[in-house]
Amino acid sequence: MDANHVFCGIVPPHMLDHLARSGSAAVADAARNALRMDAFHRERRLSAVAGAPPQPTVPGAGTPPDAAQRCAESVLRRTIGDAEHHQRLPGRVVRAEGQDAVSDEPVNRAYDGLGHTHRLYLDAFERDSIDDSGLALNATVHYSRHYDNAFWDGEQMVFGDGDGEVFNDFTISLDVIGHELTHGVTQYTANLDYSGQSGALNESMSDVFGSLVKQYALGQGAAEADWLIGEGLLTDQVQGVALRSMKAPGTAYDDDVLGKDPQPATMDDYVETTDDNGGVHINSGIPNHAFYLAATALGGNAWERAGRIWYDVLTGGKLATDADFASFAGLTAAAARARYGEGEEVQAVLDAWKQVGVPTGSEEGSAVVRQRSGTTAPTPTI
Amino acid sequence: MHIQVKRTGGFVGATRRAEVDTSGRSDAEAWHSLAREALASGKGSERAGVPDGFHYEVTVDGHTVHFADPHLTDAQRSLVSKVLKEGA
Ligand SMILES: [Zn+2]
Repeated sequence: MDANHVFCGIVPPHMLDHLARSGSAAVADAARNALRMDAFHRERRLSAVAGAPPQPTVPGAGTPPDAAQRCAESVLRRTIGDAEHHQRLPGRVVRAEGQDAVSDEPVNRAYDGLGHTHRLYLDAFERDSIDDSGLALNATVHYSRHYDNAFWDGEQMVFGDGDGEVFNDFTISLDVIGHELTHGVTQYTANLDYSGQSGALNESMSDVFGSLVKQYALGQGAAEADWLIGEGLLTDQVQGVALRSMKAPGTAYDDDVLGKDPQPATMDDYVETTDDNGGVHINSGIPNHAFYLAATALGGNAWERAGRIWYDVLTGGKLATDADFASFAGLTAAAARARYGEGEEVQAVLDAWKQVGVPTGSEEGSAVVRQRSGTTAPTPTI
Repeated sequence: MHIQVKRTGGFVGATRRAEVDTSGRSDAEAWHSLAREALASGKGSERAGVPDGFHYEVTVDGHTVHFADPHLTDAQRSLVSKVLKEGA
């Protein structure tokens, strides 16, 4: 039992795996014990999450942290760097795990955002950081000058300050932080090619889980959430509420300088372009809207069923790196059926894809679609 | 010298274009040396880039090179920033 406590929280699971195969019998024993305890706690947390009725809770409030949670918190390792307006990464370390907040708010927002993202993945999906092996989370703020962007460089997140006229600081929106880290999760799992429809799916995964990070942190159910990406990122000189809307793609902004939100909500308005890797940030509106439709049809907390289904597809090993919308859609129907059986989850997923005009394939749900062909699909909410 | 910058991709996914014609400008020589330095290390064809990273297409007097974040030299960064800020 003591050995468990020693290992718990200090040694990440992948290291335990390694230790469990250690030549030293005592070390291997202790590591195997720790792994068993870890798996036990994870299992308990999983059933707690799956079985709990929808309840808006602020993470960390209400329930005392259990052993698994304490383990998880100690595995969380964040480091925030300051590029000091240059291009160097990761920059000067300004806040490491466990250190107090600093006076520079972008640093604290990045630090907190990494924590919220880590927590959603752990609590809702039992995922231990972006690689599921406790990977340290690094972010750099104040990248370059007046830089209107945030990106994932394959190893860490990078945030610009914005120009101050159109864009504010890119750490302002929690969903943007969740979006960038999700690029890391995708890289470690389905590794969707970043162009065309697979690229738009890659983008959509980041918007979906970015939005879920925010919803989970705020304790918002699908009905209360704003479903906006980058809310607060546009300055008050811009006509717009956010950069994207999953609820109503194409309506996030309409401005003289920035132009109009180009996102389509359905396949009828799919945008063919060579810019933006084939419109990966544009056509992502279609799978984004499908997720919104499925999540709101199911109600409750979006991370619990709709989020779980999408996560199962992202991490399930069946999603091809060059997947198109239709093959992804078919896999969500299959994942819904595998996890929840024949019921409202599969139906919500099939209806969602039907409304955005993406076929779910002959294998998946065709019988259900045929059976329902006489009914009129509800008009998408705008 | 005619310098055009087209920036695509990025978190927002919006395309931005700007150009500068240095003829008759008092700072023409500074533009020329910055452009020459930026292009000296530029790639002729598009690089893969990173998720949400910007792509830049820079054309100087008909010669086009591509850059992608975060792989820009300081000169390349200054050039694209300057053209997008000061260009029309
Ligand atoms: Zn992205």
